[in-house]
Amino acid sequence: MSIQTVKAIDGIKFCVWSPNEIRKYSVAEITAPETYDEDGMAVQGGLMDGRLGTLEPGQKCLTCGNTSARCPGHFGHVELAEPVLHIAFIDNIHKLLNATCRSCSRLKVPQEVLDEFSKFKKYSASFTVISRKRIPEQIFEKAKKSKECPHCGKIQNELIFTKPTIFIEKTKLGENRLLPITIRERFSQIIDDDLRLLNYNIDTARPEWFILQALPVPPVTVRPSIILESGIRSEDDLTHKMVDIIRVNQRLKESKEAGTPPLIVQDLVDLLQYHCTTYFDNEVSGIPQAHHRSGRPLKTLTQRLKGKEGRFRGSLSGKRVDFSSRTVISPDPNLDLGEVGVPVQIATKLTIPEIVTEWNIEKLKKLVVNGPNTFPGVNYIVRPDGVKIRLDFVEDPSIIADSLEIGYLVERHLSDGDIVLFNRQPSLHQMSIMDHHVRVLPGKTFRLHPSVCPPYNADFDGDEMNLHVPQSEEARAEAMLLMRVQEQLISPRFGGPIIGGLRDFITGVYLLTKDDTTLTKQEFSNYAMLGGYDEKLPEPKINSKNGLLYTGKQLFSLFLPSDFNFVMTSKWSRGTNGKQKDVVIKNGELVSGVIDKTGIGAEEPESILHRIAKDYGNEKANKFLNSVLIIIKQFITDYGFSYGYSDLELSEKDRQAIDDDLQQTYKTVAEIIADKNKGTLKGLRGMTIAETAEAKITYELAKARDRAGITANSNLADDNAGKIMATTGARGSALNVGQMAGALGQQSRRGKRLHTGYGNRTLPHFKEHDDNPDSHGFVKSNFRDGLSVLEFFFHAMGGREGLVDTAVRTQQSGYMQRRLINAFEHIRLEYDGTVRDPHGHIIQFLYGEDGIDVAKSDHGEAFNINRLIESESIIDSGSKATKDEINSISKKYTKVFNPKLTSMVNDGLHNSKLSKQGLENVCKKGLELYDKSKVEPGQAVGIVTAQSIGEPGTQMTLRTFHTAGIAEKNVTLGLPRIIELVDARKKPSTPSMDIYLDKDSKSSKEEKKEKAIQIAREILQTTVADLLIRQAETDYQTKITLSIDNNRLKIRGCSLDDIMSALETNKKFELERDNNTITLQLVAESDAPTVVALRNKVLKTTVKGVPDIERLTLKEENGDWLIQTTGSNLAKVISVKGVDKNNVRTNNVFEISTVLGIEAARTSLINELKSTLENQGLEVDVRYLMLVADLMCHKGYLQQIGRHGIAGSKDSVLARAAFEITVPTIANAAKLGEIEELKGITENVIVGSLIPIGSGTVDIFMKSNTKK
Amino acid sequence: MVTKKLTTLAPDHIDVPKHEIMTRKEAEEVLEKYHCKATDLPLIFVTDPAIIGIGVKPGDMIKITRKSATAGESFYYRYVVEV
Repeated sequence: MSIQTVKAIDGIKFCVWSPNEIRKYSVAEITAPETYDEDGMAVQGGLMDGRLGTLEPGQKCLTCGNTSARCPGHFGHVELAEPVLHIAFIDNIHKLLNATCRSCSRLKVPQEVLDEFSKFKKYSASFTVISRKRIPEQIFEKAKKSKECPHCGKIQNELIFTKPTIFIEKTKLGENRLLPITIRERFSQIIDDDLRLLNYNIDTARPEWFILQALPVPPVTVRPSIILESGIRSEDDLTHKMVDIIRVNQRLKESKEAGTPPLIVQDLVDLLQYHCTTYFDNEVSGIPQAHHRSGRPLKTLTQRLKGKEGRFRGSLSGKRVDFSSRTVISPDPNLDLGEVGVPVQIATKLTIPEIVTEWNIEKLKKLVVNGPNTFPGVNYIVRPDGVKIRLDFVEDPSIIADSLEIGYLVERHLSDGDIVLFNRQPSLHQMSIMDHHVRVLPGKTFRLHPSVCPPYNADFDGDEMNLHVPQSEEARAEAMLLMRVQEQLISPRFGGPIIGGLRDFITGVYLLTKDDTTLTKQEFSNYAMLGGYDEKLPEPKINSKNGLLYTGKQLFSLFLPSDFNFVMTSKWSRGTNGKQKDVVIKNGELVSGVIDKTGIGAEEPESILHRIAKDYGNEKANKFLNSVLIIIKQFITDYGFSYGYSDLELSEKDRQAIDDDLQQTYKTVAEIIADKNKGTLKGLRGMTIAETAEAKITYELAKARDRAGITANSNLADDNAGKIMATTGARGSALNVGQMAGALGQQSRRGKRLHTGYGNRTLPHFKEHDDNPDSHGFVKSNFRDGLSVLEFFFHAMGGREGLVDTAVRTQQSGYMQRRLINAFEHIRLEYDGTVRDPHGHIIQFLYGEDGIDVAKSDHGEAFNINRLIESESIIDSGSKATKDEINSISKKYTKVFNPKLTSMVNDGLHNSKLSKQGLENVCKKGLELYDKSKVEPGQAVGIVTAQSIGEPGTQMTLRTFHTAGIAEKNVTLGLPRIIELVDARKKPSTPSMDIYLDKDSKSSKEEKKEKAIQIAREILQTTVADLLIRQAETDYQTKITLSIDNNRLKIRGCSLDDIMSALETNKKFELERDNNTITLQLVAESDAPTVVALRNKVLKTTVKGVPDIERLTLKEENGDWLIQTTGSNLAKVISVKGVDKNNVRTNNVFEISTVLGIEAARTSLINELKSTLENQGLEVDVRYLMLVADLMCHKGYLQQIGRHGIAGSKDSVLARAAFEITVPTIANAAKLGEIEELKGITENVIVGSLIPIGSGTVDIFMKSNTKK
Repeated sequence: MVTKKLTTLAPDHIDVPKHEIMTRKEAEEVLEKYHCKATDLPLIFVTDPAIIGIGVKPGDMIKITRKSATAGESFYYRYVVEV
């Protein structure tokens, strides 16, 4: 192996090339549009000039003399006959033209103002970090407005910019086209000081360089030509574009020399501009795309960089790897949780390098003899001199085996026990890539234990997974310590187990531990051995006439730690209305209760599994789970368990009962409809009569379906397989059973019954306006009996919505995840406990405000004091400690605790019955656990946060409205709401307020209500439109007539005068009042559209109340009234009299930030995120929500998680470019002369160095010996 | 981006935690403790409604006492900047 000097990239500076630099770097001027001559030789001065680098392996570069492997390629250049605008800088050119004088090229801002700005920039204090950035913006704004140059006094012309590249000045004489050459002239005169004020870095980007005089020609290595099978050379898109440019350039040059009319020359200049523009970017709007001969649009420079498959995201941030494989997965419950079954075929292709030592030489020799095709064998041998021997080409490997010596490197096949990384996309959280141990198996699929499916979100309907083989000892060590399946038992999202028993394992453990399960000694011993039990067998508990028998509970207990004590309520007990706390484990013995999903299930916090993992460590939990799962698997296999048609059989009587009940419901529905038609139906608040009827019908039908389900369920035996699965939590629910045996129920679309389709009917099989529930998608059949054709069709309608929903949801949540990761990837925990970005900006002073790592916590708390006391109380002896003793102990140990933990510990200690020594022990243990659960420096807290919020996104509903109960307020929920929140939208899609009123203890109930109504009137917005009898009338020329409804005036509590004064301010018309009609006489006669616009404006004028508060409802809460609104206007509502201004809530976070400040916005952001997630039944620890809120608020204003917020304001150019808006980001970086410091994550991935997060944070610092 | 309103409507709103101006000494201690420049701290605008009434000027530091779901009570510091 040759020694190569390794250089680390320190930084990357972005610049604009000046024409001189372009010429300096150029090795050849390209003048010939031809690439190759007839002999197939590259033309001198052509685009394939030998000086630009080499493509073919044998060829030597004419510039550097290297062969293609080592020649980096060299730039050439084209001298443009006429300057051309650079499309990437077109916005800068536009702004500068607008801001500078056409004569003296100074900024059109008075010198004093400029001086002030420069003084401000130079001497400003550190508190101007934000305001400083706005200087260019302010100057541009000021300069654009001035019509006369304050420096030379020249009158300025108006500038018209026609996208993409034409600038026209409007002079007195007419329109005058600004040619690039003039623009260049003007720009070169702009003085340095002016440019500095505009944040131009004059060393790297003079504005005249935005106009190209010479065009760099990229080396051939950038645009390699490929030779097709037919022997025809096919050139790269860039070469094609270059050819166009050179050809037009040549023509332009010639016509200029030949003295062609200026008009034709101008056409050629425009053509050159077009080609240069499309060379840089072929997706500029306003000009046609350049196409390949085949009709495919050319992929030019911008297209190469941009987008998912572009250079940044496709080639630099995502890299292809060796030593990986992919195949279909299938389940194998005989494996360990932490194992993966690898097909022999794959194992013989993937290798692990092993250095030959004294201790493994014999083993490796045997492997070498096997050769590359027999498993376990060897594929390559690397001798210490660097020569690599490929065993495929060796005839007799045993000769090579004999020559094997210590120090050789052997690349041996993957074999049992090797460490590999296993992954399934989408990798939404850290548990999507875990470390497994290899088990080489026959077959062609990867095998994995069914219980590791939840973290991967895998199933076996054809899923494929990837496997990677770490090659170095360091990589393996890291994988083993951090990524092992057992280390990932506890999810960092909520601090509970994510791996556990599921499906048949749950059924099995129930069958095993239910009260009447007995096992013979032989069975018991077999199972115990299978589970790896190697101690003395316990005594059988049951003495029946068949001899001594063991219970299933005894078998389960074998694998519990002997000092384990635990009490809980099983799902089974809850489902069957059994007793509370039915599961009792005493000293590692399951005394009573059955184990089900709540005991060993996945995603079940506070379960037996969770307790073992927390109290005894992951290693023990892993062992426990492995043993239990394998015996359950064997037990349920032997026991037998199946589900079928006969399990859904109902007696004739029950079926009749269901039918009768449905008949009854149909009658009720018919009555509701009759009431509606007669007009006797009373509308519910905020709903029309039709809506009320619809709501009531929906409600009745839903109840009928539920009743059918209940009837079906209650008539199934307790040992019915479906019932067992539903009540233990193994699979399905009572609802599913009900739908199979009872009635399927209402089918819906968009949360409503089915109404449309054909005119006034859902299907042509019904009469128009049919009111029968059958015609609106109510399915009274069940799955067991089968659906009628029409029912089946309705069911398919509902089913499709589900499919569309899932498809849309995955996309939306995927994009949210990407944005979250991008905003958070660089957030890291520092050694001082603060959370910072790589530039040292503090986001949080203490992670999660208590410094606890959720993954190491006990369901979100540092430790569970009650749990500690409980386990201590079993071994504790002695009398109960006195109050003073408790106080002194708690004082001693809670010094380092935060207030909440302190009070929790205090409460726990005071409520316990422990002795002084016992308490002492508990506290010691607690302190120990507290220290253990702290976050570690370098921890990628940002990424974990982003994953913890992004991953559940896929599980959220997309449905915007929830119509549970009648007359609930409509609020956006689920994924759309989360997206809205992290977007920091100015206005949520459903703004809403909760307004509490001033505390009032004196008034009676009625008075309170009266008062609340009074205040509500003040708040509710009343517009002119709300008070009219009929539509405003107008003759569309001179007047608008408003007829006011007295009744409505009364309800809304306003008067005609209110309307008059509200409209008075508008000067476009005069008011005339006559009884209850107000006529608006227009001052000037206008045309219909203006009048209509005016009418609409008048109708929207607020007469009374708070603008934007469209609707409100009063709600009683603990004797006090609460006003809930649709629409939000915090500033105005706060000032309404009678409102408790300290307890007015809105869901518009942006509004809060402007009215109450950034801290209040943070608080409400956390609350909103929390309630949305809770509503969806998803558990996410608050610490993550806090970090999201803190990051969004740390700049003093609400920042969006996305390109206009955090991701867009990152310090790193590469990170920004890799996210979105790639090319403008780079162009801007060049303008500013930005330096990429490579401190973040994406940047380092891009340049290929170690990322500074997690275990990559640590570095060795050495004092280097400076000059001797 | 930010409000220009210079009145504070509800400084005692339940969602607004306590904001206090820090003395020079306190501020220096915090910067020393976290070993950072003032601009490395989270920022707050002088015009922020929560601090309008308490007489702050750019360059001050604000100590915020938050109610915390995890710790009961926690402190946060922000550096006051110009808009």
